[in-house]
Amino acid sequence: MPRFAAESEGAALRVGLVGAGGISHVHVAGWQALGADISVFSKAGADALAEQHGLTVVSTFEELVDLVDVVDIVTPTATHRELALTAIAAGRHVVCEKPLAATSAEAKEIARAARAAGVQVYPAHVVRYFPEYVALKRAITTGVIGEPAVLRFTRAGEAPRAGSWFFDETAGGGIVLDQMIHDLDQARWLAGEVVQVYAVQNPPTREGTVPAVVTAQIVLTHLSGAVSHVQGYWGPSGLTFRTSVDVAGSAGTVGYESPDDGSIRMDMPAATSADDYLPPRTHAESPYTLELREFAAAFAGGPVPRIDLEDGILAIALAEAAVASIASGAAVDFNADVVLADLQEVVA
Amino acid sequence: MSTKIAILSFAHTHAAAYARILSARDDVEVVAADPDGDEAPDTGPRGAALARELKVAYLDTYDDVFAWGPDAVIVTAENARHRALVERAASAGAHILCEKPLATSLEDAKAMRAAVDAAGVGLMMAYPVRFASSFTDARDRIRAGHLGQVLGIRGTNNGKVPLADRAWFTDRELAGGGALVDHVVHCADLIDELLGEPAESVRAVANSILHSGRGIDVETGGLVTVRYPGGVVATIDCSWSYPDAAATWGGLTLQVVGTNGTITIAPFAQHLGGYDGSGAVYSPVGDDLDAAMIDAFLESIGRGLPMAPDGTVGYRTFQIVDAARRSVLSGQPAAVH
Repeated sequence: MPRFAAESEGAALRVGLVGAGGISHVHVAGWQALGADISVFSKAGADALAEQHGLTVVSTFEELVDLVDVVDIVTPTATHRELALTAIAAGRHVVCEKPLAATSAEAKEIARAARAAGVQVYPAHVVRYFPEYVALKRAITTGVIGEPAVLRFTRAGEAPRAGSWFFDETAGGGIVLDQMIHDLDQARWLAGEVVQVYAVQNPPTREGTVPAVVTAQIVLTHLSGAVSHVQGYWGPSGLTFRTSVDVAGSAGTVGYESPDDGSIRMDMPAATSADDYLPPRTHAESPYTLELREFAAAFAGGPVPRIDLEDGILAIALAEAAVASIASGAAVDFNADVVLADLQEVVA
Repeated sequence: MSTKIAILSFAHTHAAAYARILSARDDVEVVAADPDGDEAPDTGPRGAALARELKVAYLDTYDDVFAWGPDAVIVTAENARHRALVERAASAGAHILCEKPLATSLEDAKAMRAAVDAAGVGLMMAYPVRFASSFTDARDRIRAGHLGQVLGIRGTNNGKVPLADRAWFTDRELAGGGALVDHVVHCADLIDELLGEPAESVRAVANSILHSGRGIDVETGGLVTVRYPGGVVATIDCSWSYPDAAATWGGLTLQVVGTNGTITIAPFAQHLGGYDGSGAVYSPVGDDLDAAMIDAFLESIGRGLPMAPDGTVGYRTFQIVDAARRSVLSGQPAAVH
C-alpha cells in the first residue's frame, strides 16, 4: 500500500530527493515550504545540498525509497526510468523533473507501472504553474481572446555546462527535449492536441550531439486548426534567460515577455554562473512550490493536478516528432491517441 | 528641375501616405489616377475625392497620366494589377516604385522584371522597413561580426485585417491570397538583406480563425518557416492578428539569433503611450520610413544610381510567398524556385 502523509496524522510528508543538481534547490525550497521532511541521495553533491538546506543524506537509492512517502527525481533525464520504476515498485508516489523520461516509450513504461501499482506519478512541467501562463490559460478558457489561432513561444538562456549530458540526444538531452519541451507542453495546454509537427534546427545535431550554441524552431498544427511557433535557444555564457508567449485569438490577443515583469530587474553579467539559470522570484510562492503543493495534495487524496502522466508522455512524443522532423526535413503527422494507445490497452 | 511622378491607383492604403509625402516636397510634380476606385466596394474615399484630400492633382485615366509624361510612377494598385501598370510604365520609360508584393504569380513577376530590364528603367520595391535605423544598425553590427554566426531568425509582421476601407486585400484574385501574401514579404526582405542569399525551401501553415465570421475567405493567420542554404532557419508570423480595437495598426519585429547572442528590432515600437477616453493611445514617434524610402527612390532617379531594394529582391521575396502558398496546400516544405 502506498503510504500517505495524511494517513499518519500530524507527521510531516517524507520526501526522498534523488539528485542534487541545479534544479534540486528549488525543489528543496518548495518541499520545505510545505513542511516536508527531506532526505537526499545523489551520486554527487548530496552533502553540499544537505548542508545548505539541512537535509538528511542517505547512501543508497534503495535506502532513500525505504525511508520516504514520496520520491522526487531531479537527476539527468536518462536515469528517470530506472529510478521511477524502482520507486513505483516500492509503492512510492513519484514527482519527476521534466522530461518524464528520455523517450516516450520509457515514459509509457513508467505510466503503466504506476497504474499497475496504484501510485501517482507527476512530471514537473513547472511552466503550468507560472502566474503569467496561468493567466494566459484563463484568458483562453474564459473566452477573453476567443478561439486561439496563432501562438508563439520563445525560450532562451545560456547553454548548459559544456560536455554535460544535456547535449546528448541519445541520453535524454538536446535543446528540443530538454528546453523546448516546456513550450511544447504549453502549446498543447493552451491550444489542444497536435496533428502535425515541423521543426528546424541550426546548427544540426551531429552523431547524437547537439552543438553548444544552437537554436531550433518548431511549428505545431493543432487539431482545432490553430498553429503554434516554438523557438528555443541555447546561447553563449551570460545570456539573459528570457521567455515569451503571444496568443492571438479570434477576439483578441494576449502575451507576455519575461523582461516585462518589471518587479525585479537584474543586470549583473559578471555574477552569472552555469548554475544560476533560474528566473528571479517574483511572487510570494514560487511556481515550483505551487506545483509541489498541488502534487502533495493529490498524494493525500486531493484534487487531480493540472499536469498528468499522459501530458508528460505527449510532451516527449511531441519532442520526438520535432527531432524526427529536423532529421528528415519533412513535416511529421502526430496523433495523441496513437501515442497513448498501448498505454490504454494495458490499463484496460 | 522637378521630377514628374504619378501615383497609379489609390487601391493600396499606402498610396495616401506616399501622396502626402510627395505633395510636401518642392522637387516633384505629382499627379494621381485611380480609375478603378469607383467600382471598388470600399467605404473609404477613392479617386478624385481622395486626391483633393491629399492635395495632389488628379487625372481620370492612366492614358491621361502617360500622356502627361511621368518620369516615374508609384504603383499602388491591387496586387494582381501591378503587372499591367509596371509593363506600361516601363514601355513609357518611367522609373517605378512598386508596392509590395511585386505580383500575385511567378509568371507575372518574371514578365515584370523582363519588361523593366528591356526598357532600362529602374524598379524599386516599396519595402520601407529597410530604411529603419534600428534595422540598418542591426545589419551593420551583424555584418561587422558582433553577433557571431547567424543561426536563426524570428520575424513577426502582424496587423489589423484590411477589410472595410480596402476590401480587395481579402479578395483571393486581386490580392493573390490573404495574410501570407500581405505580410511575409517585409520580413523576407529584411532577411534577404541580412543574409545575402536566396531562400532554399519554405514550409508554411495557415488558418482563418482570426476574424472568422466576417466573410473573409482567405487565410488570416500563418507561420512561414524558411530555410537558407547557409543553414539559417527563419520563421515569419504574418498573421492579421491585431483586433480592430487595437491602439495601433500593427507592427513588425525581427529577432536574429547568433552564436554570440541575439539582436531584436521593433521599428514601430517607438511611441508615446497613454490612455484617452476611449482606451489606450499609441502615438508613433519613429522616423517616417515611407519618406526615407521615397527619398531614396528620387535620389536614385536624380543621380542615375541603381535602386535598392530593387525588383530582384522583390522577385526573391515573392518566390517565398509563392512557395508558402504551395506548402500550405501540400502540408510539406516547398522548394523555392
